[in-house]
Amino acid sequence: MIIHRPIAPVILIRPALQMGLALAVVVSLGTTLIAAEETSAAPSPSATAAGNTDTSGLSLQGKKVGITVIGTDHYWDLRAYQGQIDEVKRLGGTPIALDAGRNDSRQVTQIQTLITQKPDVIIEQLGTLTVLEPWLQKIRAAGIPLFTVDTASPSSINDTTSDNFYIGEQLAVQLANDIHGEGNILVFNGFYGVPVCAIRYDELKEVLKFYPKIKIVEPELRDVIPNTVQNAYAQITELLNKYPKGSIAAIWSAWDVPQVGATEAVDTTHRSEIKTYGVDGSPDVVSLIKDPNSAAAAVVAQQPYLIGKTAVDNAARYLAGDHNLPPYTFVPAVLVTKQNAAEAQTFLGQRP
Amino acid sequence: MSDVGKVPDQVRPDPLLICSNPPSLRYGATSSEESADLKFVCGENRMSTSILTEHPVQESRRTIWNSQLLVRLSSLLAFVGVMIYFSLAAPLFLSYSNVLNVVQQSAVLGVLAFGMTTVFISGGAHVISGGIDLSAASNMGLSAAIYASIIQAGGTDWIALPVTLLTGLIIGAVNAGAIVGLKIFPLLATLATMNICAGFELVLTQNTVVPAASPLLTAVAATGSFAVPNIVYIFFCLAFFLIILIEATPFGLRLYAVGGFREAAIAAGIRVNRDVSASYLISGVCGSVAAILSLSLLNGSSPGAGEILLSVVLVALLGVIVSRRSVPTISGTLISSLFIGFLVNGFQLTNVSSYWVNGVQGGLILLVVAGSSFSRRAAY
Repeated sequence: MIIHRPIAPVILIRPALQMGLALAVVVSLGTTLIAAEETSAAPSPSATAAGNTDTSGLSLQGKKVGITVIGTDHYWDLRAYQGQIDEVKRLGGTPIALDAGRNDSRQVTQIQTLITQKPDVIIEQLGTLTVLEPWLQKIRAAGIPLFTVDTASPSSINDTTSDNFYIGEQLAVQLANDIHGEGNILVFNGFYGVPVCAIRYDELKEVLKFYPKIKIVEPELRDVIPNTVQNAYAQITELLNKYPKGSIAAIWSAWDVPQVGATEAVDTTHRSEIKTYGVDGSPDVVSLIKDPNSAAAAVVAQQPYLIGKTAVDNAARYLAGDHNLPPYTFVPAVLVTKQNAAEAQTFLGQRP
Repeated sequence: MSDVGKVPDQVRPDPLLICSNPPSLRYGATSSEESADLKFVCGENRMSTSILTEHPVQESRRTIWNSQLLVRLSSLLAFVGVMIYFSLAAPLFLSYSNVLNVVQQSAVLGVLAFGMTTVFISGGAHVISGGIDLSAASNMGLSAAIYASIIQAGGTDWIALPVTLLTGLIIGAVNAGAIVGLKIFPLLATLATMNICAGFELVLTQNTVVPAASPLLTAVAATGSFAVPNIVYIFFCLAFFLIILIEATPFGLRLYAVGGFREAAIAAGIRVNRDVSASYLISGVCGSVAAILSLSLLNGSSPGAGEILLSVVLVALLGVIVSRRSVPTISGTLISSLFIGFLVNGFQLTNVSSYWVNGVQGGLILLVVAGSSFSRRAAY
């Protein structure tokens, strides 16, 4: 289930490969979901993880593990955070868990104090890399091993993440396919500074290079934190007034909270010709996709709890002497569409 | 003296009478504080010379004074108790590097709170009509965004620094103009400026982090002599300068006089508008200085600067506890900003959830508000 591989350069999609790729995805997802269905007794991602990862012999007995996250207000963040804390406790360690409440300054403060505390290892989750990098370097300079979750940093020994190149490409291919390679799309691009969002966005652009009839409406939209849903709803409602029926084909966002606001706006204004796309797979979004009357067309669902757990397992392996960890550990994500949403809910442990 | 004529004779108190209140009748004043208090009499003694001889009122005042002392003492005990507990529970708490960390982490909050304290002093303690600068935090956000944008556009520190300081000054001047010129309540005037600043910041940054690296910011973020971060030196130098300015110069004395009893200050010939304006300009510049410290810590401007506002108000209010006369002071604010820093730090060192910090801060606010409401009842 877990794939270790070095980071790849930005994948260039070639038109000839696209159909094959899309087919492969459909087949592989189908297989995965069928497999998941067969083992659907597993109620949550954590249970799924336990069945797929060999953690026997791992121990954090007597170890202190610093966990610093930028925020836990989003489903993904919270699940990954919980995954880390639970796994540290399960392996007998003591977590020093710090939630920065979506505030860069507070996270820097927490990291600074964490360095003074000298835990055996620090795991950092998300945040703004330009702000964090000098402080991550200080963690390493203090001789503390650093692992990251969804944060590609040269200071990190290992980054556990979804394959965001794959996620971005899959979402873009699905979008292009759904709108028959033609039409204007609205794009939320407010967090290009967050590496995973940048990768997904760049992948969208790479795919669209080969669909010249799909145009991104300029200026792009800025999603915000907090009040993401309300803000996205307001922005899309306003734009739907500006652009008449038939002139917008789809709405793309790098995560799924703006997608919720956008979907609501489209559904409220009965613009059923517009489809919405996002990433993460929060339970409310997967439910929206499952609803045949909703504008939500697809989301690439990640497994945040498994990602958090895997990061801790990697840290435990390192502390046990395994210094040959690859720089990246990719945890698979699944493309959820109207066709497979019900099965995906089961697989993701989101059974309603 | 030009302002004197604006006060009708029937409401103008006699400055001599105000300044001749027997110290023993002033709340919070003891004989040992007498000399220190003399310079603040206009600021603290909301007078009522006509009732000075009434015994029941004196009794009531004494009771209130005792209650207020109790609240202050319990607050101080809470301060000391928390520090002792953390130093016992976490051996690292009082280590050299940890103390320096805390001071460095408290600098941005402290500098903004210095500005807030200054406008508290000049505006008086009234919740609605008193002095307050709600734009302090968003001023910092906008100033940081401007500095970072200039650096991003290829500008140097020589351009970015003066433009940033000028931004703070302009924001201070707009506040002063609205409050002094248009006679708008500070609460509302600075609320408007706060929104303007936040809006401009969004326009400039598009709600994203704008990275900024420059020689000045690197120097500010660096560690200086005795392994002390330069931010700590800057923070203490600014604190020292403001303590002298506010607590030991005629200008500071006038600010206390204006905030304590505006009409009396006017009658005494103080140019009230000029001094109130100056306090908002100081707060504006504090916003810009805090922006530069924040830029150096975060390697750029970061959205969400406005979130710090309530902490700034809290720190400026908390400072009142450590003042002997229960008035806002820069030194009190310095201590309270460090206290909040130690509180957050202590929670992390003892592995207590950071979510508890909010609850403790709320408790402290309650204590301060209780203390200041006693003060007001004693004053009238």
